[in-house]
Amino acid sequence: MAGSLLIELDRVEKTYVQAGVDTRVLRGVSLAVGRGEFVALQGPSGSGKSTLLHILGLLERPTAGRYLLSGEDVSGFADDRLSELRNRHFGFVFQSFYLIPYASALENVLLPGLYGPESRRSLEHRAQELLARVGLADRASFKPSQLSGGQQQRVAIARALINQPAVIFADEPTGQLDSATSAEIMQLLADICTQGASIVMVTHDEETAAFAQRRIRILDGRILDNGGPGPAEG
Amino acid sequence: MRRALRLLPRVAGFALDAVLAYRLRSAFVILAVALGIAALTVIVTSIDGANRKALEIVDMFGHDAVFLLGGDIESRAVGKRTLTLTWDDARTIRQSIPGAYLAVPMRAKSNITARFGSRNFDLPVVVGTTEGYAQVWNWPLSEGRDFTAEDVAHGAKVGLIGDTVAQELFGDRSPVGQIVFLGSLPVQIVGRLSYRGLSGGGGSVDDRIAIPLTTLAQRFNLDRKYFRAIRVKFHNPEFMDAHVENLRSLLRHLHRIAPDQPDDFTILTADQILQFLAMLRGGLVAFLGLTAGGAILVGGFVLANLFSISVAERTTEIGLRKALGAATWAITAQILAEAAMLTLAGALLGMALGMGLGQALSRLGILEIQFSMKVFAIAVASALAIAAIFGLRPARHAAGLDPVQALRRSEG
Ligand SMILES: Nc1ncnc2c1ncn2[C@@H]1O[C@H](COP(=O)(O)OP(=O)(O)OP(=O)(O)O)[C@@H](O)[C@H]1O
Ligand SMILES: [Mg+2]
Repeated sequence: MAGSLLIELDRVEKTYVQAGVDTRVLRGVSLAVGRGEFVALQGPSGSGKSTLLHILGLLERPTAGRYLLSGEDVSGFADDRLSELRNRHFGFVFQSFYLIPYASALENVLLPGLYGPESRRSLEHRAQELLARVGLADRASFKPSQLSGGQQQRVAIARALINQPAVIFADEPTGQLDSATSAEIMQLLADICTQGASIVMVTHDEETAAFAQRRIRILDGRILDNGGPGPAEG
Repeated sequence: MRRALRLLPRVAGFALDAVLAYRLRSAFVILAVALGIAALTVIVTSIDGANRKALEIVDMFGHDAVFLLGGDIESRAVGKRTLTLTWDDARTIRQSIPGAYLAVPMRAKSNITARFGSRNFDLPVVVGTTEGYAQVWNWPLSEGRDFTAEDVAHGAKVGLIGDTVAQELFGDRSPVGQIVFLGSLPVQIVGRLSYRGLSGGGGSVDDRIAIPLTTLAQRFNLDRKYFRAIRVKFHNPEFMDAHVENLRSLLRHLHRIAPDQPDDFTILTADQILQFLAMLRGGLVAFLGLTAGGAILVGGFVLANLFSISVAERTTEIGLRKALGAATWAITAQILAEAAMLTLAGALLGMALGMGLGQALSRLGILEIQFSMKVFAIAVASALAIAAIFGLRPARHAAGLDPVQALRRSEG
């Protein structure tokens, strides 16, 4: 993966058709995310933030437009190929954590790794390290129901890091947490960013958005303000 | 492909975690499948048992012999005279049918009590016969001797005792030389028939006493001229069809039957007995097969329903797995593996249940059950088939979930 532009969207459209009614959610979005960037997507509810994040995360396909991953157009890739790309290069953090309820913290962290090529031993080693890094070394065997919301989100962040991704996508990662816990989680994400991963985060909270280097504002499926001159070099 | 092979054990691990996590679902599927497999186990083992039994019966009957019965099948059914065979018939058969070297007449009297000292035994049958009885049934004597021609000619009060009767009346002592009362008739035991262990019809073949046919006819006031059956043994069993034809022509001639009249006798061969047993077994297979098929179908539907519900409940988990990089096949494989683990557990439990049930039934003498690798293989194959057939729809449904839709749904 050469070049500093990791992801480029070129005039991306997303239209949902439901019961014969078209909903144009994204209307010609062009956007670039660079390596090591911390980007916040902001906008009112229903403006298309999550949809944009899903498209950036290769979870959804645009209706029109191109998606370049390190310069390669992956728009036409088959579903399983996209799964592999997500698994290898992306990490995901969700508002409601989405941990597997019957699996321990450690097993949850391992999950994306187990769908990849790496050996279980080295994955387990890294999972332990990551749990220690998010301050949960002593909670590895706990089930999600035995953890607080903040702790669950830390497990989810460790899970997002297990395959050493290039980008982490986070959709309102602090949406269910109190402000003190939110600040801890945001600090954690900011630290991860300084260690080289890009972060793309949806938020409508100004305090949270303040952790990002760049803010993109969306309204009615269009980018109002792409947050400045573009990705910084290096 | 290599990637898939490496992932397979991990997918199995995910399946095992889920199977252990959703215990209620697991228990219901295991139980439902176990009932079907139990029924299947009973049917397979009992068919095996019936086959073995048929072979034993035919073995005892012998491929080198026929059983000649008085009356043809139709006249017997409408209650016409069935005592058509005579001493002359028996003698002529032995003398003039090529290859026939034994022709032993038989007649039975039922429900007679045998008594020795203070011990009683209710005999289902007392058989009246002649010398050659043990030989003609391939039934060796474990002690003593067979009847002689003199025994028969003089209506001697001598008898051959079945093994079970000997056990009951004499315990470990030898019955040979002892006097047993058949009703009021004292009979000296001269031989003991070896243990056959075959049951069928009115109880075990070892529950009998045989005496000379002449003695039976005199003492129990039966017709002296006619008897019920003749067993004929032949050399060269490979020509059995010809033997049977010769026998039929001779008897029609001896009984002066006009060409347009039906036989007044029936010739039973080992082949016919096999056919008859196969027919009986066919009924058993059809009945048990329907039962087992129904039970397995029910197990399959329970599985399909519980798995559909489970996939719906686990939409978030499945959407998450896909979002985090699980390939479509990995989801399908996980759900199918969950199903297979449960149906296999159900198969093991079902086999245990089926064997238990079978033991109970064989103790009642209804069926004969024996475990075999065949039962195991059929049970395991059916379990996998149930998982594949009934788990496929829920598995494909899960694999086809759109991760974004799945995750959005659980947010609402
Ligand atoms: N599958 C779908 N079918 C039809 N419309 C959809 C679908 N998914 C999303 N939408 C619509 O797209 C629009 C944008 O949704 P999106 O979730 O991207 O908004 P958002 O900016 O993330 O809002 P919020 O801040 O409330 O999370 C909404 O009007 C929503 O109803
Ligand atoms: Mg949203």
